[in-house]
Amino acid sequence: MNASSEPRRSFSRRGFLGLTAAAASVPLLAACGGGSASQGGGGGAGGTVKFWDMPWATPAYNDAAKSIAEGFSGANGSKASYQIIQWNNFYQTFSSAIASKTGPAVSTGGGFQAFQFEQQGQIAYADKVIDKLKANGQFDDFLPGVLDPFKSDKGYVAVPWQLDMRVFWYRKSLFEKANVALPTDWPSLLEAGKALKKVGAFGFTTGAGAGNNYANHSMIMMMVNNGGGVFNKDGELDLLNDRNVEAMEFVLELVSNGIVDPAAVSYTTDNMSAQWKDGKAGYGLFQVNVPQRVGDTSGDLLVADPIKGPHGDKATIVFPNNIMMYTNTPSQDASEEFLVYYLGQLKQLWQKKLMSALPVFKSITEMPEFADDPNNVKIVKDWQPIAKTFASQGSKLNANLAALDGGQALNQFSQTIITGKADAKTALQTFQSGLESVLKK
Amino acid sequence: MSSTTAQSGLARARRGLAPGGSGAAPGKRKSKLSAQATRTFFWLLLPSVVLLVLIHGYPLIYAAVQATHDGDLLQTGNFVGVQNFSTVLSSPAFWKAAQFTLWFTIVGVFGSWLVGLGLALLLRTKIPAGNTFKVLLLLPWVVPIVVSSTAWNWLVATPDSLIPALFRNLGLGTPLFLADPTLASITVMVFKVWVSFPFMMMMISAALASVDTTVYEAASMDGASRWQQFTQITLPLIARSTYISWILMTIFCVNDFPTIYLLTGGGPVNATTSLVVLAYRTVFQDFATGPGVAIAFLMTMTLVVISVILYRQIRKSSVE
Repeated sequence: MNASSEPRRSFSRRGFLGLTAAAASVPLLAACGGGSASQGGGGGAGGTVKFWDMPWATPAYNDAAKSIAEGFSGANGSKASYQIIQWNNFYQTFSSAIASKTGPAVSTGGGFQAFQFEQQGQIAYADKVIDKLKANGQFDDFLPGVLDPFKSDKGYVAVPWQLDMRVFWYRKSLFEKANVALPTDWPSLLEAGKALKKVGAFGFTTGAGAGNNYANHSMIMMMVNNGGGVFNKDGELDLLNDRNVEAMEFVLELVSNGIVDPAAVSYTTDNMSAQWKDGKAGYGLFQVNVPQRVGDTSGDLLVADPIKGPHGDKATIVFPNNIMMYTNTPSQDASEEFLVYYLGQLKQLWQKKLMSALPVFKSITEMPEFADDPNNVKIVKDWQPIAKTFASQGSKLNANLAALDGGQALNQFSQTIITGKADAKTALQTFQSGLESVLKK
Repeated sequence: MSSTTAQSGLARARRGLAPGGSGAAPGKRKSKLSAQATRTFFWLLLPSVVLLVLIHGYPLIYAAVQATHDGDLLQTGNFVGVQNFSTVLSSPAFWKAAQFTLWFTIVGVFGSWLVGLGLALLLRTKIPAGNTFKVLLLLPWVVPIVVSSTAWNWLVATPDSLIPALFRNLGLGTPLFLADPTLASITVMVFKVWVSFPFMMMMISAALASVDTTVYEAASMDGASRWQQFTQITLPLIARSTYISWILMTIFCVNDFPTIYLLTGGGPVNATTSLVVLAYRTVFQDFATGPGVAIAFLMTMTLVVISVILYRQIRKSSVE
C-alpha cells in the first residue's frame, strides 16, 4: 500500500467534488427554490375557497380571522379554509404555489402583490364583488378615495380592507420639558427638533435597519408633503423634481442639526419602538396604534397635526392593504361570495381591538371600540383625507411599486440621506438610476 | 514462513486471492463475476443518483434557465443570453458585495479557526470542569441564529445598548456598532467568528484526539520546544482536518445569509451586503430574477474553484 492510496480510497476526488458542488449550490437553491405551499381541504359542491392571510397583528388577530373565514358557508355548499403565510419570503411562497396551481383562491398579501400577479394573468378581477357591495350598501361605506387606486383598465384588481397609514406622533411630556410648541410646518419642525435635542430626545425619529422601512416611508412622505413624489402625474419616474430636492435638503438639514438619531440607520422596528418607549423619541413618523405597539398607554404618546410644506402642501402616505382573488379557484362565484362575506365581517377585528391599521369602512371608524381612542379619531379626521399612495404624484397603483417599496434603491437612498452621506441631488440621482434599472417599462 | 513466502502472501492478499489458488482464475468466470458486480453496483447506486439529480440537477438547470432569461418567478421570459451576467459584472454593487464577501470569508474562516484551535488546545489540557466548558462553548453554534442575532442586536444597536454604554463609561466615546459602515462590517465579522468557532473547535478537537501522544514524548526527549512541537507536529498532523474545515467554512461564509441579514440587513448603505444578500435582495426585493440568479451562479462557480484548490492541498498534505 503506498502512502496516498488510503486517503484516495476514503476521500475520492469525485466524491469530494460531488459534496462540494452540493454544498456550493446552496445559493442557487436559496435564490430559486420553491416556497412551501399548503393545500386547502376538500369542499362541498362549491368547493373549498382557500384563503391565505398574513400575520397582520398579534396571533389573536389570526385566530379571529380564521374563525371568520371558517364561518363562511356559501350558497352551493362552498366552505373556506384559512392559512397563515409568514412575511419572510412571502412573494416566493405565493409565486411557487401559484405556479404549481396550489395557491390560494383569495388572499391578503403585499400592498402591490395584486398588481404583480395581475401582470402575470393570475388575478381574477373584482368587479362583480364591487357590484355586490353596491347592492348590499357596503360600497357607500368605503372611506373616500380608498377604492380608486385599485381600478385598472381591465377592472378592480383587488378590494382594500385596511389602511396602513403613516402619521406623525409625539411624546407630550418631552415637548413640555423642552418648552416648545408642536410643529405646524417645516420651520417649526426644525425648531422643535433643536429644542428636543437639548432635552436628549430626537425630533425626527426613524429607522432603516434590517427589515425596517420607516426611513423609506419618511423620505417619500416628506417628498409628498411638499407636493412631490417618486412619479409624475403620468406615472413616470420623476425623482429629480424641485419639490423632492427641496424636501431632501430639508431632511439633510435635520440630520446636520442632530435632529435625526445618528444610529437610526441601523434601527430595526423593535429598536425604534424601544426609542419611543424609553423617551428618546420626541416626534416622528409611525403607524396607527403606536402606544399599544411600544407598550406605553399612559396617554403621553399622541398623534400630531399634519404639517405644511413650504408651499402650503399637506400630505402623508398610506398603504391600502387589500384582498385579491386568483384565477385558480374551485369556483369564481364562491371566491366572490367569500370576499363579500369576509368584508362584511371585518368589523369584528376592530371590535376586538386586534388591528394596528385603519379600517376602510366609515361604519367601523364610528364604532365605540374604535372611536373611543382620540388618536384614532384624529387620524381618520385629519390624516386620512390627505393621504396619498406611493404612486404619487400619480394616482394608480401598479406592479412597479413593489420594487420601489422595500427595494434596494429606496433603501440605499434613505440610508444615504439619514447618514448625510450625499447631497440631495446626488442621492436623488442615484435613487433614480437604481429604480430605472429595476422598474419594468 | 520464509521471507519470500511472506511477501508473496501479502501480494496475494492485496490482490484478494485465496491461499493455494493459482492466481489465474478462469477468464470467463472472472468476467461473469465482474459483470454481475457492475450490475449490482449500478442498481444499488441508481436511487441515490436519481435523488441527487432531482435535488441538485433540476434546480441548477432551472437556475441556468432563469439566469439567461428576463423573466420572473412565475414566467421564464425571453432568452437574453449572457446579458444578466454582463449586467451584474458591470455593476459597482456587485463588486462592492464581492469585496465584502471576500473579507467576511477570510475573517470568518481564519478567525474562527484561530479561536477554535486555541480552545481545542486548551480543552486538551486538564482544566477544571472541562466537559462543562465544552458544552458551553458549543452554544453559539447550537443556538438558532435568529435568537443570537437578536441578542447581538440588543447588545450593540443603540447608543444606550450594553456595549456602547460600556465604552462610554470607559471614556472611549459611544461607538455606533451597526450604524457606522466600518464598525458594522467589523461587528458582522466578529459575530460570524463567534457563531462559527465551535464548529472549528470540534473539527480540531477530533483531529487532535487521533494524534498519538508518544510523538510529543519523543519530541520532548529530542529537546523540541513547545512551539516547535506545535508547528512541527500538531499543525502537520491536523493539516488534513484543517483544510477540510477551511473548505466547509468557506462555503458556510460565502453562503451565509442569516448572520448578515438579521443583524444589519446588508446596511448601512450596503456596507455589509454580501453576494448572497445581494442575490436575495435582487430577486425578492427588486424582483429582478435573472440578474439575481446570475449572481448566485457566479458564486457557485467561484466556490467550486476555491474548493478544488483546497482539495489539492488536502491531497498534498495526505501524501506528505
